[in-house]
Amino acid sequence: MRVTQGCFSFLPDLTDADIRTQVQYCIDKGWAVNIEFTDDPHPRNTYWEMWSLPAFDVKDAAPIMLELDACRKVHGGRKYIRLSGFDSTHGWESVRISFLVGRPQEEPGFILTRNEGGGQAIQYTLQARPLPGASA
Amino acid sequence: MAEPLTPVPAPGETAIDLHKELAETQVAEVLDELDRELVGLAPVKTRIREIAALLVVDRVRRRMGLTAETPTLHMSFTGNPGTGKTTVALRMAEILYKLGYIRRGHLVSVTRDDLVGQYIGHTAPKTKEVLKKAMGGVLFIDEAYYLYRPENERDYGQEAIEILLQVMENQRDDLVVIFAGYADRMDKFFRANPGFRSRIAHHIDFPDYTDAELMAIGEMMLKSLSYHFDAGGAAAFRDYIAARRKQPHFANARSIRNALDRMRMRQANRHFAHPGLVTLDDLTTITAEDVRASRVFNQDATKPD
Amino acid sequence: MNVLDKKSPPGGKRSRYAAGVMEYREMGYWQPDYEPKDTDILAVFRVTPQDGVDPIEAAAAVAGESSTATWTVVWTDRLTACEKYRAKCYRVDPVPNAPGSYFAFIAYDLDLFEPGSIANLSASIIGNVFGFKPLKALRLEDMRFPVAYVKTFQGPATGIVVERERLDKFGRPLLGATVKPKLGLSGRNYGRVVYEALKGGLDFTKDDENINSQPFMHWRDRFLYCMEAVAKAEAATGETKGTYLNVTAATMEDMYERADFAKQLGSVIVMIDLVVGYTAIQSMAKWARRNDVILHLHRAGHSTYTRQKAHGVSFRVIAKWMRLAGVDHIHAGTVVGKLEGDPNNVRGYYDICREDFNPVALEHGIFFDQHWASLNKLMPVASGGIHAGQMHQLIDLLGEDCVLQFGGGTIGHPMGIAAGATANRVALEAMIFARNAGRDLRAEGQQILEDAAKHCLPLRQALETWKDVTFNYTSTDTPDFVPTATPGF
Repeated sequence: MRVTQGCFSFLPDLTDADIRTQVQYCIDKGWAVNIEFTDDPHPRNTYWEMWSLPAFDVKDAAPIMLELDACRKVHGGRKYIRLSGFDSTHGWESVRISFLVGRPQEEPGFILTRNEGGGQAIQYTLQARPLPGASA
Repeated sequence: MAEPLTPVPAPGETAIDLHKELAETQVAEVLDELDRELVGLAPVKTRIREIAALLVVDRVRRRMGLTAETPTLHMSFTGNPGTGKTTVALRMAEILYKLGYIRRGHLVSVTRDDLVGQYIGHTAPKTKEVLKKAMGGVLFIDEAYYLYRPENERDYGQEAIEILLQVMENQRDDLVVIFAGYADRMDKFFRANPGFRSRIAHHIDFPDYTDAELMAIGEMMLKSLSYHFDAGGAAAFRDYIAARRKQPHFANARSIRNALDRMRMRQANRHFAHPGLVTLDDLTTITAEDVRASRVFNQDATKPD
Repeated sequence: MNVLDKKSPPGGKRSRYAAGVMEYREMGYWQPDYEPKDTDILAVFRVTPQDGVDPIEAAAAVAGESSTATWTVVWTDRLTACEKYRAKCYRVDPVPNAPGSYFAFIAYDLDLFEPGSIANLSASIIGNVFGFKPLKALRLEDMRFPVAYVKTFQGPATGIVVERERLDKFGRPLLGATVKPKLGLSGRNYGRVVYEALKGGLDFTKDDENINSQPFMHWRDRFLYCMEAVAKAEAATGETKGTYLNVTAATMEDMYERADFAKQLGSVIVMIDLVVGYTAIQSMAKWARRNDVILHLHRAGHSTYTRQKAHGVSFRVIAKWMRLAGVDHIHAGTVVGKLEGDPNNVRGYYDICREDFNPVALEHGIFFDQHWASLNKLMPVASGGIHAGQMHQLIDLLGEDCVLQFGGGTIGHPMGIAAGATANRVALEAMIFARNAGRDLRAEGQQILEDAAKHCLPLRQALETWKDVTFNYTSTDTPDFVPTATPGF
């Protein structure tokens, strides 16, 4: 399966030149760009591991692309990697864009567990299947 | 490397009008502004024009497929304090941006303290942070030789130097570094760190200003603040420049600015000391009295004004 | 005798509290020198007096009838601080290019209103006066609420920021679709539509306004099958998905029961219709905040009073009331779709929903500065007759903080519902990508869609199917303004 989280998962995988355009968009908006990775793509898994601190005060996408390269060297093809742009403006103070820039070579998907309660009601539990070769 | 700003020429393009090429980049405007904004500095301005010409030609050559390499653009600006190095660096960033050699055109100005940390493990992130902020633009390192302290073999400056060298080589598309400082010390620094010397394409030497140039600078600064010298004031200021130059810590245009700040303060206090009304003329005029009260004129003075 | 034709009695001004009838303007409801206080609630009405009725007197009558006045002088006024409680009409301007109509600006003292009650607010402002005989027609155009009053309301239960955080969806409009046909599907069949649409790429599906609990599908069936569809779609995509379960019902008790069941099944969102009434809406907003469930409002019925320019209540006022009342989603127009929506007015509605401060913008129908005092932002929903081929226009006009609902534009896709959903999602992502990359959506939108369709067959099919569908009709409700200030009289 293909996890379709993030802004651009229905497009063909982004090239580095593509990613650069979106990173520059964030920088020009004054947002801090953050690189995160995880082996648990559950949609409620909010806190992916941060690769480094969010990049505040940069003017150009180059340093983020450098960090992304470094992150890929370690996790590329094995974990999910995403970029996000954080807006500290009052009233937002949250993520304004987020998109995947790396996936494991094989995406094992999720297990949906149905627990029958009383009557016809079902409690659903969603769990990501472990990624091959990934630990923690 | 940013995309060239002008469209790729039609196939078979054989003759190119370099002047038109220059006009399209609007670099000429930056050069003219540099002329207007900075008094004197003729050799510097000539060098900048030469570099700009080289870069325009290089751009055309790359477009025609004669070369593919990103040229090395790191520079060293040597000269005494107050000779216009920072101002020229700002304009240089603008020129490089307009020619498409850097993507953003901003200048990040730092000294040793911004790059070198206080404890082990502190320097690398600090240096990288600065480099990240400068990417897409120009990193201006003032008094760069302070990075190198051979007397202390465990100095963290060495770590910053190594990271700088690496980025200057590998990220030539992403930023241009300009080193600045006194000529003699810079020379020593480069001799001790040959890695820098080989990565620097352009050296520009900033001469001290002549007395006449400093006078012109002073008058320009006053004008921008809506002040002027009267005849006596101008004569006194000429004397001031000659005297100040002989004293320690002389810093060319910067000394002139500091002197003018003090003279404006004396002028203000002079008006308060004299009862009566002041006219518009009074408020805008710096007189001999304002200038000559400076300690620079006191032969025994050990400290500059 | 016509009250409003009455001239001042001969022999000079009579006493204010002498028994009998007197002109509203004489009773203190017309105060051209009055400077509205920061704490006043302000309203602007479009007043169309009956022939021969003086516009100032008509405007004063509106102020009077929407505050303390009755048709005759009452001595009991003198038992109150009546000066304070009287609404004051302080300005009357002719409506540009509309002879016989006037904008009347009226200030109401804050003490006239119960804190945090839309029911009380609306009963005061529109309770009685709209049937007043001396007026041919009357329309409430806009209102300004002081910060002190705004602060007495909860505001959107979740708000745009937390909704996005909860759904983990940022940087693009959310995509929805109303399940069609509106009526007749069984619960089991209904859930199939939900599953296909969500799996195909939509974020939300939606019950229609009149899907409640009918013989063909009782509400518990719908909820059970819909949540099975949602859970399966989440597992298939790794995304949080939602379906607006309509909990509109005959009584508040029924609504709470349905909402509680939706929450128990794990739904992130429930839905109500505007016709449940302001009190029920506020109750549900409080329920939604207590239970961490997003509250979607369908503006069912609003066009009966918002559409005609001369009479009723402008939708911008309803939008303001609903932001105060505390819903999280509100249908606010599409501009390009099948339902009424002048682009300038719609822009005004969207600003009311999403900004923390609305400056006066007569061209967008906004008559007053409005501070929202950090009340949550309300997600506008664009729904009705829109399709993937309009994606560039929709994003250009509406921005990214909205829900785009393609009902027919999803379910009517020739290759099925999931294909329709995918077409919409690909068009949306391609357009957002292109916009962020600096491309001009107005000029290049068509090209961007065609390029995206090269790697997406469903989008190619959608563009082909709906290429000629537009709804180019003149809007009935457009802002009336002249670029320079109109002199009062």
